[in-house]
Amino acid sequence: MTQALRVEDLHVHYGTIHAIQGVTFSVDQGEVVSIVGSNGAGKSTIMWSLTGVAERSSGTVEIFGEPLPAKPHDIVNRGVALVPERRRLFSALTVQENLIMGGYRRARDERMEADLERCFQLFPILKQRLKQRAGTLSGGEQQMLAISRALMSDPRILLLDEPSLGLAPIVVDTLMETILRIRSEGMTILLVEQNATQALEISDRGYILEVGRFLKEGPGVALAQDPEVRRAYLGG
Amino acid sequence: MFLQTLITGLSIGGIYALMAVGYSLVFSVLNFSNFAHGAVIMLGAYVGLALATKLSLGFGLVLAGSVAGAGIIAVLNERLAYSVLRRRKAPSLYLMISAMGCSVFLENLVYATIGSRFYAFPEFFGRQVLTLWGSSVSLLDMGAFLFALVSIFALHVFISSTRTGIAIRAGVSDMTMCSLMGVDLNRLIAIVFLLAGGFAGVAGVFLGIKYLVYPTMGWVTNKAYIAAVIGGLGSLPGALAGGLILGVVETFVSSYVSSVLRDVFSFSLLIAFLVLRPNGLMGQDTEEKV
Repeated sequence: MTQALRVEDLHVHYGTIHAIQGVTFSVDQGEVVSIVGSNGAGKSTIMWSLTGVAERSSGTVEIFGEPLPAKPHDIVNRGVALVPERRRLFSALTVQENLIMGGYRRARDERMEADLERCFQLFPILKQRLKQRAGTLSGGEQQMLAISRALMSDPRILLLDEPSLGLAPIVVDTLMETILRIRSEGMTILLVEQNATQALEISDRGYILEVGRFLKEGPGVALAQDPEVRRAYLGG
Repeated sequence: MFLQTLITGLSIGGIYALMAVGYSLVFSVLNFSNFAHGAVIMLGAYVGLALATKLSLGFGLVLAGSVAGAGIIAVLNERLAYSVLRRRKAPSLYLMISAMGCSVFLENLVYATIGSRFYAFPEFFGRQVLTLWGSSVSLLDMGAFLFALVSIFALHVFISSTRTGIAIRAGVSDMTMCSLMGVDLNRLIAIVFLLAGGFAGVAGVFLGIKYLVYPTMGWVTNKAYIAAVIGGLGSLPGALAGGLILGVVETFVSSYVSSVLRDVFSFSLLIAFLVLRPNGLMGQDTEEKV
């Protein structure tokens, strides 16, 4: 199977802080892989370095067999899309304009129209909100828009950073179902979550991150049931 | 007399607005006061002056040349003096200081090369006047006002409906996420400076025709900063409204009260707005940034 993402011995520094201390992992095409860990473990740092926003100090990152470019906009053009922590929508722009920005790198053709339709199928509510400013949406709707914005770039791998953050439990359930649905359409997904149980349960494989290093890795369900992991991260 | 004063005020206000638009655009994207904007206006005026006197070009070509010249100068200014600081994620105060340095540098460069002489544009419009309801109104004033109105409206349409315009607004909202949409930030910022410089070129030519061309003529951008604050920093309709209000109010103060008090009044207005309504007339409330 082709590897969508291969990360080897990645180090990231923030000033004098050694935030990521040599992590190695991979995501195969069509897989859902999650990285779980407590707040401050460095989960988001991994995501920002994979998108070129945080500078990598050392290590190799390959995306679909090729070295990851340095600039964020070049990385997007290789098919990497990020749904960042706290969504970071363009809040002053309308829903429609956010979606246009999502597809900024692409030609406006039928395929893009089709992708827009697909987003409306996943999240019908967005169609009614098109002219509304993104900042006025509810938390759940904002997350739907953030995912749609990322999908509009026609990615080959989707990076989801804490998608469940700040959402009501029932909304989180729907979100997890949506992630599975996107996956069933053939998307490769790297998921980073504090909400470890639910993330691991929908993942093929998972990694446990603790202050800059991986503590454990394994199949998602097995990790979710691992007694040591449960004690440390899942509240017993 | 009233109508005449009003039209004069609107024409000066239109020029303030042309300057404020460029300043405001850069402020909203990069979040710093580009104090070199006045120097770009001054250089734009010199470019226009050279085209008009050395090549004897007509008004349209002079304006186009000055827009292109000032646009390129603004882009170079960003590339040479700001982009390095941006890449190092320097605080915006550093950018502002760099801008002040550029302004002093460019003014003195003109002193050293062209000299401190005051130059006048050839008379493009003569002293033609229109007679409206019994008052005579200068054609240049009417023209400057209408041109400012039309060009700022065109910019507004560009920013609100084209793809590049949406990307600029997305950048204002969240620069990092904008780059993660596939937008090349260096290119986007170059476009912003090109637009700001283009408007500076128009302002430079109108200022030069109305008054004179000299190395420190760009200082009048102080008024553009006031206009931008009145209208709401970062808002284009605000820059237009702020410019027009300031121009009209100033002209009425100098014709009906005292011309000496004009600037005292303008800067008092600035302070009043900063204290009472820091977001200006049309500025959006500063949103909480996470």
